[in-house]
Amino acid sequence: MNGRAPQHGTRALHATGRLLSRYWTVLALVAAWGAWVRTQHLNQIVAPTPAAVFGDVLDNPGAYAPDLGWTLLNAAVGVALGMLLGLAGALLVWTSPVLSGLMTPMALIMRSVPVVAMIPVIARVVGFGTAAVLTITTVVSFFPVFVLAGSGLRAAPAATRDVFTVLAASGLTRLRLLLLPGAVPALLVALRLTAPTAVLAAMLAEYLLGTHGLGQLFARSVTFMDPARAWGTALVATVVSVLCFVGARAAERQGTARFT
Amino acid sequence: MATTGISESPPAAPAPPAPAALELRGVTKEFSLRRSRTVTALESVDLTVGHGEFVALLGPSGCGKSTVLRMVAGLEEPTYGEVLVEGGAPAHLVRRHRLGIAFQEHALLPWASAYDNIALPFRVAGRPVDAARVTELLELVGLEGFADARPRQLSGGMRQRVAIARALVLDPEVLLLDEPFGALDAVTRRRMNFELARIWADQRITTLLVTHDVDEAVLLADRVVVLTGRPGTVRHVEEITLPRPRDRALARNAEFHDIVDRLTALLDEGAE
Amino acid sequence: MNRARTALLTAAGTLLLLAAMEAAGRLGVLGESWPPLSQVVAALGDPVTRDLLGRALAATATAAGTGFAAGALAALAVAVTGVLLPVLKAGLDRLAAVVHAVPLIALGPLLITTVGREGTPSVIAALAAGFAVFVAATSGLGAASEAHRDVFRALGASRRSTLVRLQLPAAVPLLLDGLALAAPAAVLGAVVGDWFGAPRGLGVLLVSSMQNFQTELMWSAALSAAAISLLAYAALAGLRTAAARRFA
Repeated sequence: MNGRAPQHGTRALHATGRLLSRYWTVLALVAAWGAWVRTQHLNQIVAPTPAAVFGDVLDNPGAYAPDLGWTLLNAAVGVALGMLLGLAGALLVWTSPVLSGLMTPMALIMRSVPVVAMIPVIARVVGFGTAAVLTITTVVSFFPVFVLAGSGLRAAPAATRDVFTVLAASGLTRLRLLLLPGAVPALLVALRLTAPTAVLAAMLAEYLLGTHGLGQLFARSVTFMDPARAWGTALVATVVSVLCFVGARAAERQGTARFT
Repeated sequence: MATTGISESPPAAPAPPAPAALELRGVTKEFSLRRSRTVTALESVDLTVGHGEFVALLGPSGCGKSTVLRMVAGLEEPTYGEVLVEGGAPAHLVRRHRLGIAFQEHALLPWASAYDNIALPFRVAGRPVDAARVTELLELVGLEGFADARPRQLSGGMRQRVAIARALVLDPEVLLLDEPFGALDAVTRRRMNFELARIWADQRITTLLVTHDVDEAVLLADRVVVLTGRPGTVRHVEEITLPRPRDRALARNAEFHDIVDRLTALLDEGAE
Repeated sequence: MNRARTALLTAAGTLLLLAAMEAAGRLGVLGESWPPLSQVVAALGDPVTRDLLGRALAATATAAGTGFAAGALAALAVAVTGVLLPVLKAGLDRLAAVVHAVPLIALGPLLITTVGREGTPSVIAALAAGFAVFVAATSGLGAASEAHRDVFRALGASRRSTLVRLQLPAAVPLLLDGLALAAPAAVLGAVVGDWFGAPRGLGVLLVSSMQNFQTELMWSAALSAAAISLLAYAALAGLRTAAARRFA
């Protein structure tokens, strides 16, 4: 491994070994699922075989793509809105000592209130349909950004702040030079926390409220007794949510290295 | 290299000698960095410590002296050469729980009392705790009244006493001390040196001390091994024949100051 | 002095939030479905509502509680397995991440066929809580300092002995952090589990009151769910503060 370029075959073997040592549990899970379906002689309606599910996804990508796109769009717009509002709120609170009293209760809410469980309430208030789905994803991403960016801003060293005051920097200059670099790492952490959650929350809302998207595709497949499609939807959602997490984590690493 | 002559084997002794307590033979240690680059911390170091001998490894920071101690403790493996403890691999002694060790960071368990910290080696070895022995050590290090105190309630010097008591509690065959007083202020450090001299005179355990404090090394050891350079090599070995017990009267001993000055000069040269 | 100021500001902030909710309801800016808080509280005066809410609350709290306990224990067991058998560790980490990414709605139908409608909320609660505890336990078990590990290795400690005497106690603060985060996750899991056809629970009440335009009932169910997860979180976070003093 270290240094002298190993034989091509050995390197491939190493890579395979590393992959196996990390993902054997996931493979085992899929194998157990297959064995379970076969040994229990389960009806395909209850639980399809892994082969049927993977086959449905690979053979009919067109059946999933529009709904997947719609869900991702909802999640992305919601995350963007939530981050914007959260950052704006954090800036507002940062400028006012009275409003800063909001931080602690807000942080408590972020950590303790099951926002996703409030989907019915939100649907009632903003109306069923896409508006509710967007509201959910926005609210889900609002709290982490608000709290993390808020503490990021407060962590800006007082000495730096003084320098800027002495230089009589204008508000906009201060914002650009001091606050935003301080807030970017917080935004990236928030992105990692919320990106996978937003996708899952969007699906849950779509399922419950019956709008477009993967959640609706799942509900439809269950109703029309198409288990391979239903499980395929779950498979697609799982993969997408893992990819969102991996992507957001990579962005966080890049951004943190750049801004700190 | 050969002029250093650390091993004291008499020239005409045909009978195979009993194994030394500690022995390093031509030990080189390389650490691999990223991208297959390596850095050499130690270069062909030979060192022998006899039974019941107190040897101090003296050197500036970064000369690899702690690495020597970590290899003796089985925490690192030499890249080339051999480390023997009682004629066998260090791991062998460690497995029998016959090694005592104390570090600069006291590494006491913050949630356990002084008593429980000292009793830890019994529990780790799966033996019943010998309460009398633990109490005896609390007394030996002068902490009779502090059995129930937790580390954060103790001063820096007291924590190091607990750490040394923990190292001694199983009556180890080899005691390893890695800058045990490095985090203390100068006054406390000197007081702890005399304490350790008293404790050691009482126990006479084979001891390897790593330090960068010349006074400390001369005050405690039977032999001082000076390591310098990067990679670290043995530069000089000094037999310390100062009489024991060594106490504060040593401060008026001209020979003591003479040795300290000489070794300090050696370290200064090595630093260039 | 500074703490008193923070506490005062926090109290003011909380009051501000509650007042904003009340005002939004009074003024009707967010429509019919956002009642004033006082009206939601007043609705609890009705014994029928109170009874309905009480039973749903008991069902959800039970499901969340059993799920929380089972999920936390299982997660701790898996994390400990990873420590005792390091070969398995990387695989177990990936398994936890993938299981966590499986959308809850996908698990619903599967669980209903395997553990039944009654059991589904607590199993989903266990999965949701278990992940938070697993992540905390994994980093907690790795939290002991390098110097502590060296001492244990030089003392010839076995893997089991290091686990029991060093790694588990050192993990306590992070583990309690994880438990505090897992409590709201368990409540959420129980509520979502209700949506797949559980006979009773806050989730059932939320959806049925949403469909029947029982605005006060819906809000009281939502606020109850928020209240139990807030209380569970606060209790565990308090325990963590106490433990941090003991274990660090």
